[in-house]
Amino acid sequence: MAMRDLVAGAAACGDSSSSSGNPLASLANALIGSSSKTQERLKEIPTSTPTDPASQFYSTALPANHLPGSEFDKPLLEANSQASEFLHRFRGASGLEETWDEIQREGGFAGPRQLVPAVQQPPSAVISGGCAVDLILLLGCMEILNIEEELRMPFHPTPLPMLGLSEGDKQCIRDRSSIMARHLFADKSEEFIDAQMGLGIGPVNALLCSLDIDSNVRGKGPMPERFRELEDYWNESQGNMRPGPPPADGWITEFSQHRGKYDNPDSWASSFEQQHGANGWVSEFEHSQLSSVDQMQGMNMSNFAAMEQTRMLANTLAQNGDPKFQLLLVSGVLIGAFSKRNWNSKFLQFVSKMSRGELIIDDNQVKENALPASGDWATEYDQQYNHGHAWAGEFLNDKACARARNNIILHVYHGPDQWVNEFTTKGLQHDAVDDQWVDEFSKLNVSDWADEFGQKFGEAALGDSTSDSWAQAYDEFLNEQVSAKQKLDSSRGVYVFSDLNPYVGHPNPLKEGQDLFRKGLLSEAVLALEAEVLKNPENAEGWRLLGIAHAENDDDQQAIAAMMRAQEADPTNLEVLLALGVSHTNELEQSAALKYLYGWLRHHPKYGTLAPPDMSDSLYYADVARLFNEAAELSPDDADVHIVLGVMYNLSREYDKAIASFERALKLKPQDYSLWNKLGATQANSIQSADAIMAYQQALDLKPNYVRAWANMGISYANQGMYDESIRYYVRALAMNPKAENAWQYLRISLSCASRNDMLEACDSRNLDLLQKEFPLQ
Amino acid sequence: MADSSNLKSDAIMEQMKQHLATDAGKQVTEKIGLVYQFHIAPKKLGFDEVVYTVDLKKGEVTKGPYEGGKPDASFSFKDEDFVKVALGKMNPQIAFIRGAMKIKGSLSAAQKFTPDIFPKPSKL
Repeated sequence: MAMRDLVAGAAACGDSSSSSGNPLASLANALIGSSSKTQERLKEIPTSTPTDPASQFYSTALPANHLPGSEFDKPLLEANSQASEFLHRFRGASGLEETWDEIQREGGFAGPRQLVPAVQQPPSAVISGGCAVDLILLLGCMEILNIEEELRMPFHPTPLPMLGLSEGDKQCIRDRSSIMARHLFADKSEEFIDAQMGLGIGPVNALLCSLDIDSNVRGKGPMPERFRELEDYWNESQGNMRPGPPPADGWITEFSQHRGKYDNPDSWASSFEQQHGANGWVSEFEHSQLSSVDQMQGMNMSNFAAMEQTRMLANTLAQNGDPKFQLLLVSGVLIGAFSKRNWNSKFLQFVSKMSRGELIIDDNQVKENALPASGDWATEYDQQYNHGHAWAGEFLNDKACARARNNIILHVYHGPDQWVNEFTTKGLQHDAVDDQWVDEFSKLNVSDWADEFGQKFGEAALGDSTSDSWAQAYDEFLNEQVSAKQKLDSSRGVYVFSDLNPYVGHPNPLKEGQDLFRKGLLSEAVLALEAEVLKNPENAEGWRLLGIAHAENDDDQQAIAAMMRAQEADPTNLEVLLALGVSHTNELEQSAALKYLYGWLRHHPKYGTLAPPDMSDSLYYADVARLFNEAAELSPDDADVHIVLGVMYNLSREYDKAIASFERALKLKPQDYSLWNKLGATQANSIQSADAIMAYQQALDLKPNYVRAWANMGISYANQGMYDESIRYYVRALAMNPKAENAWQYLRISLSCASRNDMLEACDSRNLDLLQKEFPLQ
Repeated sequence: MADSSNLKSDAIMEQMKQHLATDAGKQVTEKIGLVYQFHIAPKKLGFDEVVYTVDLKKGEVTKGPYEGGKPDASFSFKDEDFVKVALGKMNPQIAFIRGAMKIKGSLSAAQKFTPDIFPKPSKL
């Protein structure tokens, strides 16, 4: 305080306009402001231990009613209103540079700043002191990341040019490096982190050494008693993150940590508090303030100094020759110009992602790849930021800036509870915003990024099944976007015809289809019947048989589509209604199934009278079940009514009753292969897989080409954990009908469960020859 | 119906419940050893959710939120999407990328949630 007054003359004596126009004052603020004001705050905090005798000096130098930092009020406010104006315009305009120019043209820096000649510089040339700190930080971050491989390699501190970092800066760097280390190694033990930070072997420490920052001397000292609780929160939240995600889990882990942070505002608050201490909190805030002021003033001496520092750092890094470093410079510069303060966290994440290889950049394409990406992030973060989560922003926008700050500091240190509460509320807001962010992100169809992501994972993580599957997921997702239109066509209820049907033009495709169906050549029968219904779209029998062929071929979607056409042509056909009921039951669509089964009853010549005509609108399972039981009593020797009842009990998952019904029907119709399959499926669904396999075998003895029964066999073996057997049955089913989508999906699951990942590719490319050779059915 | 809601997921959860009592189900429990909580919404994420707890430590499926503390991971799905994931029609990563699946809790726990832990329904 006294020192600043000495340098800045009357700057702090209330005439704020002169102080803001006084570059010397600002320089003084920049150089000593943070540390001295930190000390001033320290005395407000009863729990912090004033280690520095200077703080006593500062506190005595202040009048009792003087608010620390109040000499800052006016310039900060102005600078911040400009900052927000800048941001505001940025949101509206398409490009950063345009906005910048626009503001410059309009003389956006009104008031005292007009005394200062505006500097016409592209934003990329403006680097604040804060940016230099960030560059250093992200370097540290990269080193941390690299040590995954080079854990035991000695790391030699690189001599860096004199950066002229203040003690506050150094503290800031150290604190934030250690936060980052903790976040990056959330899965590692505390000792590991300490080793990285403290024992003089870790790269972080080496980096800190090279910056002449002692990691231990300025340690935080013992934790004050009342922060214990916060520390517990922190530990708890860290404990929630499970150990052991492999490095290739990269972004997802980071994302989870990121989310975890927001989901648990307590931990966010406490981690911040713990890492920075009261001191760090203030100085960080102070630091941000300063740098934003610096940036907006543009003329400030310290700004030039900072730019110079950053240039020197940049040169050192550029000599390194690693494209990553160069990219970091580019993006660092860009972002620093944009708004250093807003960017601290996001930027670091962005960079750490990049350094992990999730955003890869070729030597020559650094800018092309990086700049659009950072632009997106910038916009997005800007939006998010303006949704009002950031406490810093709130402070800045507050008209009574310093007063409020002071009040809140007092308020905060009244008790950790209130403090935590405050952050909890913020955190909750943020949570909502965060969800939006996720939504937005998932909608973002940045194919470049996704391509690169997939490609990188393809290269870097061969043999790691997790990352492989993620890469495949991305590929699939992209393909999906491309084929989105096609998928619309194959949506529910619309029958999809095969291409290149050889039976089109056949003189009597229905007869041909019936013959083929009888012979058990289901896929051929489907083609012939398709030709028939193309020729005679109103032929209910053609559609019905087509639907049955699809059902037996284990394709319920197509079966439903065909049966619906059959029902249109013949609304009262009992077999069609039953088939629709069964298919909807298979698709777990209870209400639709119930509707068709009830329709079966209502249109049945014998039982139709049982069904009250007014019931069809609102169906309750219990009512329909009661009616069917009445029907079964009426004629206990009608196999059909027992079949429908069995399906009904499947719907309500009363499997024992369903099994009884089917068994009863089978006594009446022992040659009905589909009935054997129904019995088997019911047994399988009620976890009697061994019995089910017997029933399926009966069905297959009666109809060897019954694809559904083959597939069901596979399911039963898989549900018993006998994956090798299940694979053979799925392959057999697929050999008969390669269009059975379910079977392909189940085959894939069984292959991975049986540790036959070597055959996954054959499965994905639908290479049946290879699969049949590999998994013959004895 | 046996219960009032008409979710397709109910059928799968019911089957899962029984499946966990079998030998194959016990292997799943041994392999995973985590507690998952599922929030299944009929139409829109977050609305009229039905909560299931799939406790793969004890091998239990219960309706309602987990009572033994915090689940290792909780998932939010639309009914339709849950069925797709459980039956292997959509892989969980795709579901996540599409925003069809929301995850809370540990992601390494969430990554162990794969279609093979659910038994597959057989077809009539």
